[in-house]
Amino acid sequence: MNLARNFVENFPCFSIVLCMVAGILSTPIKGNHAKRITLLVVILVTCMSAATFLYVVSTGTSFVYTMGKYPAPWGNEIRAGVLETMLATVFSLVMLFSLLGGMDHVFKDIPEEKINLYFILVDLLLSSLLAIIYTNDLFTGYVFVEINTIAACGMIMIRKIGRSLVAATRYMVMSLIGSGLFLIGLAMLYDITGHLLMENAHLVMNQLVQEGKYSVPLLVIISFITVGLAIKSGLYPFHSWMPDAYGYSTVSSSSILSSLVSKSYIILLIKIFYRVIGFDNIVNSKIVDVLFVFGLAGMVMGSVGAIMAKDIYRMIAFSSVAQIGYVYMGIGLETEAGMVAAIFHILTHAITKSLLFLAAKGLNNVSGRKRVFYALQGSAFRNPLAGVAFLVGSLSMVGIPMLSGFISKLLFATAALGAAREKVLITLIVLAVSTILNAIYFLHTVVRIYTPVHVPEEFKNVHVRVSKGAALAVFSLICMNFILGLLSQPITDLIQVGIAMFA
Amino acid sequence: MTAMYLFLAAMLLPMLSGLFLLFFQGKLKNRTLKCILIFLVMALTAGLTVRLMCFEDYQLVLWHLTDKLDILVRMDNMTRLFAGMTVTAWTLGGVFAFEYMKHEEKEDRYFGFYLIVMGVLIGLDHAGNLITLYLFFELMTLSSLPLVLHTLTHDAVMAGLKYLFYSVAGAFLALFGIFYLYAHGAGLPFCEGGYLMVLDAYSGSGKMTLLVLMLMIVGFGTKAGMFPLHGWLPTAHPVAPAPASAVLSGIITKSGVLAIIRVVFYTVGADVLRGSWVQYTWMTLALITVFMGSMMAYKEQVLKKRLAYSTVSQVSYILFGLSVLNQDGMVGALSHFVFHSVVKDCLFLVAGVIIYKTGKKTVKELTGIGKEMPITMWCFTLVSITLVGIPPTSGFISKWYLAEGSLQTGIGGYAWFGPVVLLLSAMLTAGYLLPISIQSFFPGEGYHYQELRKKEPNLLMLIPMLLFTAAAVVFGMFPGRFLGFLQMTAADVIR
Repeated sequence: MNLARNFVENFPCFSIVLCMVAGILSTPIKGNHAKRITLLVVILVTCMSAATFLYVVSTGTSFVYTMGKYPAPWGNEIRAGVLETMLATVFSLVMLFSLLGGMDHVFKDIPEEKINLYFILVDLLLSSLLAIIYTNDLFTGYVFVEINTIAACGMIMIRKIGRSLVAATRYMVMSLIGSGLFLIGLAMLYDITGHLLMENAHLVMNQLVQEGKYSVPLLVIISFITVGLAIKSGLYPFHSWMPDAYGYSTVSSSSILSSLVSKSYIILLIKIFYRVIGFDNIVNSKIVDVLFVFGLAGMVMGSVGAIMAKDIYRMIAFSSVAQIGYVYMGIGLETEAGMVAAIFHILTHAITKSLLFLAAKGLNNVSGRKRVFYALQGSAFRNPLAGVAFLVGSLSMVGIPMLSGFISKLLFATAALGAAREKVLITLIVLAVSTILNAIYFLHTVVRIYTPVHVPEEFKNVHVRVSKGAALAVFSLICMNFILGLLSQPITDLIQVGIAMFA
Repeated sequence: MTAMYLFLAAMLLPMLSGLFLLFFQGKLKNRTLKCILIFLVMALTAGLTVRLMCFEDYQLVLWHLTDKLDILVRMDNMTRLFAGMTVTAWTLGGVFAFEYMKHEEKEDRYFGFYLIVMGVLIGLDHAGNLITLYLFFELMTLSSLPLVLHTLTHDAVMAGLKYLFYSVAGAFLALFGIFYLYAHGAGLPFCEGGYLMVLDAYSGSGKMTLLVLMLMIVGFGTKAGMFPLHGWLPTAHPVAPAPASAVLSGIITKSGVLAIIRVVFYTVGADVLRGSWVQYTWMTLALITVFMGSMMAYKEQVLKKRLAYSTVSQVSYILFGLSVLNQDGMVGALSHFVFHSVVKDCLFLVAGVIIYKTGKKTVKELTGIGKEMPITMWCFTLVSITLVGIPPTSGFISKWYLAEGSLQTGIGGYAWFGPVVLLLSAMLTAGYLLPISIQSFFPGEGYHYQELRKKEPNLLMLIPMLLFTAAAVVFGMFPGRFLGFLQMTAADVIR
């Protein structure tokens, strides 16, 4: 029994390595086989993450896994607590459904000889996502951030239409600026503390703060790391790459990029806040106030952008800008409740955004592949499943009770009311404004897809057969949305436990 | 436990039947059979609701949303009043639609959503705390939207969007109020007279609470067509098919009233508001709406639009009655709720009959129509008189109580200013309704009696109208027991 338990502790490392191996294996084989390997790996990773999650919940403590058994302060470490394993499970599930839901389009959009390359990139991306979530040392974190960027870039670019190249270049430039800042921050941190493992760095850091040494360099480090990761996750005003990158890549890519990749940086940031720098030090540095302000700005400006958007993908992409604003706003509240809300919203958004992208693709498919709104009139009747999926996703984003978005809003609002005095009113006002703007563009689109007026003749008799995998994916994402909405209490409790384990 | 099952049955039966109808649109070819089935569903729902109303007061948790937040249903006098009115009007409107919808397309879709909204409203009337109320409120907006959109013309879609945006904006204003109150402990079930004052968390946040309450009143007031968020109502109601306009005006606007009642009298407590700037602003807004709605109705020439403006004005009578925060005002408001529902349902049905039989839409075309369909126009005339408030009809009673309530407040100017505005508006009501009756029965010299043809509608349309008319008049003559019930309810919530 004990042996079996210890065996579970290998799972996080296994899953990271497994993804990489799958990538290597996929190199010489055909796309179709690569697809099978990837799906298998994602399913395996999901199971292993879930097993680790249950294990961690049952033991009630986190565990550290040293790679190669080098003792601290050397070597690389990964660490699995409740939060990490839960996120890994949800992320790999969302990954699975995004792939399943967009599989038909992967084969249509991407040149045949590149398909196995696409799956290699997916494998790499998953391994880097897991590593970023699990990492316990800064260097591993940085390496996988870079791998993540490269994989994501490839996934955008592989579609080889003009706009996707431009989008990938933009994404690359923005991402590299972000990674550059992050790297400089890390280098300076290493310089001051002499450690790359999070725990050791944290100890030295606390000591330095107590002694009042290096206060200016510390501030610089905190700002560089924060701003670097914020740029990478697409916080307003560094969001300009998002609409194109999400709008012109194949649907699986956009759904993975928007719901997982940008979130992984936020998770890394939260982890660094708690485990390296210390949340009190972060609060004292006032850098979260900056995040707070930009988060608020993003909530409004993202929604305004979405309202102005003329096509459905840009609208969803701009909505992501707004949602990332919500997450940073939650972090910026400087309270534990705010952090719980932010992490819950990461889950909500991961599930809902992938659902929305899949639904939008389904609608776009029955409208002559046009993405502008007027072509989508009445498309929900031509593809009922996509219509329902878009309806559920929208209602969740808008915040109708029983769906996950409502719980996010509830958590944000209650967190705001418990925050520092000067933040309460402004948060509530911006939350209300942003919610109303949200409702305007999502519900307007819902009405559009459900009102078959001015439908061009050639679309009238289009009916699309949805493949079983896609139907399963959409259905599961809808179910997950309801689960998060109806059974939120255990999940928020677990998030709280997970944050407590960070300390 | 039986109450729980009965409630779920009453709510889910129409919802599921509605979904079923939507799913199998156009599959059921035998129209008579379909109508009978729909009628049975509505009648059964009504029966179940009435059975529920006979239970003692109860409170049931349906679902734990989070530790501190339940989806909760509750039975009290307010539920009895609103649920009773809803199922009655909904069933009668449905019967009317069996005939009316013959000349509209896609009637399965109409009846499908009509049934779904009925279920949602039953949930709304039973809601036991603010979150449950909000849940059903949003569902109501979304499920009633297709009724407005029904014809799918450009106008209808635009009107639908306007309806949607106003409603959603209003509901979110209210939602943030709910969040605020929730953070101060208001996830608790409703209770007569409110409980906010006795909560520890409340102390010391008076000013903010008042602001939040104002936003909630304005937010929920959107649904009731209260100034300044009334703009959607005159656009959205007239574009729906007539039986849908009837219930939209008669019942759905009142859900905004119910929500405000639940917030002010069942959560916060009237004492928090009494004498505050919120009460004065609320009274002012209500009076502005009363007057403005009547003026707009007076100027409007399209019959259904005129009726919609009249709704704007009349629902704010109810809100005014609530805003004075005393028992007589409350009795006036609640009785006006019932009477206005009855009257406005009937008026819209008459407008529907006229469109159905003759296609006439503007007031000018109605000259002499009373000769063609005398029974219909007699209904119109009688309920118009009721709405104006001429004794012995029911409108007189509710307005009497409203004026009484206003005079009792003792707030300097308002005490007499309120009744003056109500009187002025009553005169305007007479001005925009009675001339229609007059010209329809007395067409004047230019009317060709040779071309006169009887166009009276069949029984499916006549019976609902006659029942509404009878109710409007009879309530006015024998109001005793009903008023007793209302006075008891009012005494419970305002001490």
